[in-house]
Amino acid sequence: MSPDRLAELLARCALRDQQAFTELYRLSSAKLFAVAVRITRRRDWAEEVLQEGFVNIWNHAGGYSPSKSAPMTWMTAIVRNRALDLLRRPREVELDEEHEELVASLPDDAPGPDELLRQAKDAGALAECLKQLTGEQQKSITLAFFYGLSHGELAQQMQKPLGTVKTWVRRGLERLRDCLEPGNA
Amino acid sequence: MKLDDGKLRDRLAAEYVLGTMPARARRRFAALLRERPALRRAVTDWEARLLPLADPLPAIEPPARVWTAIESRVRGARPARAGWWQSLAFWRFSSFAAAALALTLAVFVSLPGPEQPEALSGRMVVVMNDIQTRQPAMTATWEPDRDGGRIVRLRVMGHAEMAPGTAWEMWMLPEDNGKPVSLGLITTHETQTMVVPASMARRLDRAAGLAMSVEPAGGSPTGLPTGPVLYAGKCIKT
Repeated sequence: MSPDRLAELLARCALRDQQAFTELYRLSSAKLFAVAVRITRRRDWAEEVLQEGFVNIWNHAGGYSPSKSAPMTWMTAIVRNRALDLLRRPREVELDEEHEELVASLPDDAPGPDELLRQAKDAGALAECLKQLTGEQQKSITLAFFYGLSHGELAQQMQKPLGTVKTWVRRGLERLRDCLEPGNA
Repeated sequence: MKLDDGKLRDRLAAEYVLGTMPARARRRFAALLRERPALRRAVTDWEARLLPLADPLPAIEPPARVWTAIESRVRGARPARAGWWQSLAFWRFSSFAAAALALTLAVFVSLPGPEQPEALSGRMVVVMNDIQTRQPAMTATWEPDRDGGRIVRLRVMGHAEMAPGTAWEMWMLPEDNGKPVSLGLITTHETQTMVVPASMARRLDRAAGLAMSVEPAGGSPTGLPTGPVLYAGKCIKT
């Protein structure tokens, strides 16, 4: 799946070319669905997220600029944002409880930072930089990234005070940025 | 939020992209993103840093019903395979609104004013619709200048915003369904004028329509629209 091809398809989507949109979906939907499934942890929600995400991609293809982001990054951001919005949107009480249960159930089936890091090892420089973080920083950032946990949920999950977890996330992100772009320190 | 502070901006952008912001802060931040280009840039930078984490996730094929649902929601948009400027459906939808507005405009431009030339015969009017909302977004009228060229007066409606690092390029769509011809770059200012040289005046007068596309700063590198077309409309002789 070449970035150039995806960028070209997005440009054609901006011109309302439905054939290009069909091909774009064929090439990228399985990757994006994996992102949605991982964050929402529910197939039905992930399907809703993917649907909303692609309608968004179609409607905003005109705003995509190849000089600013890689096409897959741009589409992943849209799908992740839909997934995070869905997790954060006010829901019926039962659904809230359901999600809290899901969060509470994380220790049993959630891969630890090591496994997530192994998965991320192909992510090149980013994985290298993640390794330079403390264990807590790594764990809080990867849990938040892959499961869409908020600060509050992270604190609950890691059984630490909210302020402590927020600091891990903030310092971890700062170190990641400085490691990826040493010039900006 | 004191978002002029670069450090704070960077931190909030990072937390927005990572997804750790609580619901209300997230909604507030998303609303601010729409109006603050510096904040958008910070978010784009963090997306480039963090989202590669998702690359190694094994792909999961979504069920066919997802595509069926998506397709039913985007169907009905105009196909553009042969070039959007050749699409009949596009000209159909644009012509009604254009005719209605052209009438209003004709009344408006015939009011005496200090800058109005005396002879207005052969004035052309184009109402350009926003391709997404199908609402009128820009008007263009033109008249001969002294050297046989054309003075094109543009009016941008509403408060249009140009993304940083991009340019708006105007295109003339020739009568023979030929390739669009660039008329040059424009700004988001409400009123502006362009001068079209005498050598192009005849083609402009006979043009089927005008369009505006978003291009990289400096204009299209290929001489044809490369970015999305935001506004387009049909020429009407008044």
